[in-house]
Amino acid sequence: MEALKIHELLKERFADAVGEFNDGLEKGSTIEAGSIAEVAEFMRNDETLSFDLLMCLTGVDWDGYDENGKGKSVAILGYDENGEPEQSDRVAEGDFGVLYSLYSYKHGHKFTLTVRVTRQEASVPTVGSVWPTANWHEREAYDLVGINFAGHPNLCRILLDDEWEGHPLRKDYVMPGTWLGVPMNGQPLATSPFSEDDVKLPGGES
Amino acid sequence: MTDNYKESTTPPEGYDPLREQMLDFHVEEDLAKVIDSDDKNFILTTVDQLFNWARLSSVWPVTFGLACCAIEMMAASATRYDIDRFGAGAFRATPRQADLMIVSGTVTAKMATRLRRIYDQMPEPKWVVAMGSCAIGGGPYFKYGYHVVKGVDYLVPVDVFIPGCPPRPEVLLDGLMRLQDKIRGRKGKSKPPVWVRDYAGKIPYVKR
Repeated sequence: MEALKIHELLKERFADAVGEFNDGLEKGSTIEAGSIAEVAEFMRNDETLSFDLLMCLTGVDWDGYDENGKGKSVAILGYDENGEPEQSDRVAEGDFGVLYSLYSYKHGHKFTLTVRVTRQEASVPTVGSVWPTANWHEREAYDLVGINFAGHPNLCRILLDDEWEGHPLRKDYVMPGTWLGVPMNGQPLATSPFSEDDVKLPGGES
Repeated sequence: MTDNYKESTTPPEGYDPLREQMLDFHVEEDLAKVIDSDDKNFILTTVDQLFNWARLSSVWPVTFGLACCAIEMMAASATRYDIDRFGAGAFRATPRQADLMIVSGTVTAKMATRLRRIYDQMPEPKWVVAMGSCAIGGGPYFKYGYHVVKGVDYLVPVDVFIPGCPPRPEVLLDGLMRLQDKIRGRKGKSKPPVWVRDYAGKIPYVKR
């Protein structure tokens, strides 16, 4: 089934919860965040759709993009010449997005659901009960972008360390200066773990 | 480095011949210039040589691959390059039986504690080879890599740095031979390891 027909089917069934049709490389429709779980369940169970595979779940920070999806110049923060983490005066205010890339083995068609949430209330219902794949994908989106998935059974970090602070793929993320005492910015160590007496010629007497 | 160099030209600002020698030694002859071995008697030096020959002939690496450099390390241990010709083909599955850790790939912040633990479990004497740009100084992740340790010598002391992205197996073999030269020049009992980043700045300028 073509993507536009799927969009019309969803529009017919869910009315206000379905937004506009996204025409592009990944065709799909925008869904309101609150009703994503029931839309997902419908798309899996419906005979004509039967989207039985969640190919990917992507979390996006849309800060720096205007309404038409065109990018503005946003400096990604790194380390400056002295190795200090760069700080920006600009306050990030763009929305977050969650993209569900779906595929049907039965019919061989693809569809992409897009959910847009504000930066302040970045919470989306989980679809882990519809596609079990979503469990780890949602943990990744939580880890790197910081989107909360309501109803997730185990929403904790999956890639970074448990004690990591911040969500690195946000546009306003500031690089860590040190991590567990190790400089992350390429600067020399402040203190050596060995005393100066230990520093001897290679192969010399110890 | 020859004596002519020191006498004929004035060294540039900040140039330290002793430091250059120590950071740049390659073969036993170079080491012999740095280390005065007159205070050793004949028997002890001979036993040292025997021990060092045994050590350099069977440098067993720990099975430890982090990224794409590990693919080149596997290629170096396979039939075409066959790192076993140099006695370093027995990749041990436990650090407790290994002498050498080839840090082959990107060291992430999460891996840093694990890497240090593996190093601590290895028995003395032990050596570390930093293979590839990422292990040497972060490589392409230097500026924007929020999760990458910018050089494995923040975590463990490194004996040989092998540049490349990734280095070809020939270069890994060359690095292994440089490590063997270093082991060949060892004298006496086990030394505390030296951290190159700190150590490079601390060596005083010596006029000779």
